[in-house]
Amino acid sequence: MNFDLTADAIAFQDAAHRVSAEVLKANAKRYDETGDFCRESLDALGELGFWGMNLPDAYGGFDPGSIAMSLAVEEVAYHCAATCSSLTAHFLATDSVLLGGTEQQKQELLPLCASGEKLGAFALTEPGAGSNPAEMRTKAVRREGGWHLTGTKHYITNGAYADFLVVYAKTDESQGHKGISAFLVDRHTPGIQFSSPEKTLGLRGSHIYEISFDCQLSEAALLGDEGQGFATAMAVLDRGRVEVAAMSVGIARAAYDDSLAWAQERVVAGKPLCRHQGIQWMLAEMHTQLEAAKLVTYQAAAARDSGGRFSLESAVAKLFASEAAAKITDSAVQVHGGYGYICDLPIERYYRDARITRIFEGTSEIQKIIIGRAITA
Amino acid sequence: MKILVAVKRVIDYNVKIRVKADHSDVDLTNVKMAMNPFCEIAVEEAVRLKERGIATEVVAVTIGPKAAQEQLRTALALGADRAIHVETEAPVESLAAAKVLAKVVEAEQPGLMILGKQAIDSDNNQVGQMLAALAGLPQATFASEVIIENGKAQVTREVDGGLQTVELSLPAIVTTDLRLNEPRYAKLPDIMKAKKKPLIVTTPAELGVEITSGVTLLKVEPPAERQAGIKVSSVDELVDKLKNEAKVL
Repeated sequence: MNFDLTADAIAFQDAAHRVSAEVLKANAKRYDETGDFCRESLDALGELGFWGMNLPDAYGGFDPGSIAMSLAVEEVAYHCAATCSSLTAHFLATDSVLLGGTEQQKQELLPLCASGEKLGAFALTEPGAGSNPAEMRTKAVRREGGWHLTGTKHYITNGAYADFLVVYAKTDESQGHKGISAFLVDRHTPGIQFSSPEKTLGLRGSHIYEISFDCQLSEAALLGDEGQGFATAMAVLDRGRVEVAAMSVGIARAAYDDSLAWAQERVVAGKPLCRHQGIQWMLAEMHTQLEAAKLVTYQAAAARDSGGRFSLESAVAKLFASEAAAKITDSAVQVHGGYGYICDLPIERYYRDARITRIFEGTSEIQKIIIGRAITA
Repeated sequence: MKILVAVKRVIDYNVKIRVKADHSDVDLTNVKMAMNPFCEIAVEEAVRLKERGIATEVVAVTIGPKAAQEQLRTALALGADRAIHVETEAPVESLAAAKVLAKVVEAEQPGLMILGKQAIDSDNNQVGQMLAALAGLPQATFASEVIIENGKAQVTREVDGGLQTVELSLPAIVTTDLRLNEPRYAKLPDIMKAKKKPLIVTTPAELGVEITSGVTLLKVEPPAERQAGIKVSSVDELVDKLKNEAKVL
């Protein structure tokens, strides 16, 4: 594996760092405290082209490679994890179109998504179907001139703020996952109902919704071919897990950097915290976890670019980086002591924001199933 | 009109600087580097002059190690048309930088050269002035407004106690102050396009300049830590302390 970053990767990292450190960071605390949607931060990224990082030139993006993208996602998460979650949810929606859509659908929609004009949401999970998408109840039935979509989706990031939703639904209930198709649903389609945003432990600036559908869709709403939805969703999640890993690294790195600086500054019993072995060992553990998390993330990104299947690498990265982020953000609170527990510093926010990375886009337990099956196949 | 803009690679202004344990210098290990903020303002001004149709070409130049090409690439992404990298691993003091830039000015013959008033690493505030002297060009430092009209530059300068407006015949050297403009962020599509813009690499030797050093760095110390203040209970006590303890009255 080549560890030298390309000029593109460095440039993307720099660009993401700059806007994140100056714009996103300034909004992050407010989003967390008020629960306001991360609109300004998300739009600031959109204006600069970050909404199209996952897309190739042909569709208005400029695919700089997954490592460049991971580094940029990491920078965004470092300064505002909520904005990062909304951004990567948008990538799940546009990846669905990129991997599953017809040429016409891609040409029509993706350039607007890349330029920051249309925000997407990815609607797979249901109240009774999270880790088990094949058991979804949402269905689309053929009708004169199109489809009738009914059902309920849950935990849908960006939900009511999205301009379009990629909705996965059963088109053949007699089949399991092979009966699933994907649909492009305009946010203003009559018959969509959004809940109020869920109250959450972390990522409070990135809203998630329950959404119910009783909608008439046109023939053109079917994304790609009938019955291909599950395959598309799984390929999309392989890609998305690299982004969750990068997001985990970003939150963890913020927690680590703050902890190291704090331990060097704060004097206890006559010497800086970092000169007390108990704290130094915690910092050493955090550093090691962080470095390892970066490496599995970049490895998965490199595998994603190599063209073959990378379910194993992306599951390893997602599992390790999210679990590392949990340990590192927990240690960050401990290194800070009481200061880590109060809300004046961002430490407790890192701790809360990191928690979801072990759950969404496949829990740690699901990642172990994927890894276990792959290595014993 | 062609505008030449100098940019410098420095420690990112967001980074909290740490001094090496042996006090020999600032610790640069794994420290994030970026374009000097005053240079960003210089690039932005040049690009705006081009967008207004006043400039026809913007050329960015830097002196430094190979990695300084990252900053040139940022300048290209922000709107510069081409870039010149004068590559050297040696530390470059103000006079050496001015001599190199004078050679670049001689070769490029720009109508206007814009530099940051100083770099945030060594804070010398010398290169623009030295360059003007070496190149024999008029200079306006600490610019907060630049207007190009009828072959002249009208520059508002931030001086102690107010603003001074000067008129320079072109070609001229202008150095930027903080309030000249607010630089834009680089857009990702422009970062990708910047790769296709020309970037030539030369060396001080090729330009006929020998990088010499006239200053030896003896010791670097972090600023003294600020002590906590105290609350006084009355104006009388305050006056007493100012008179007898601080001895400022």
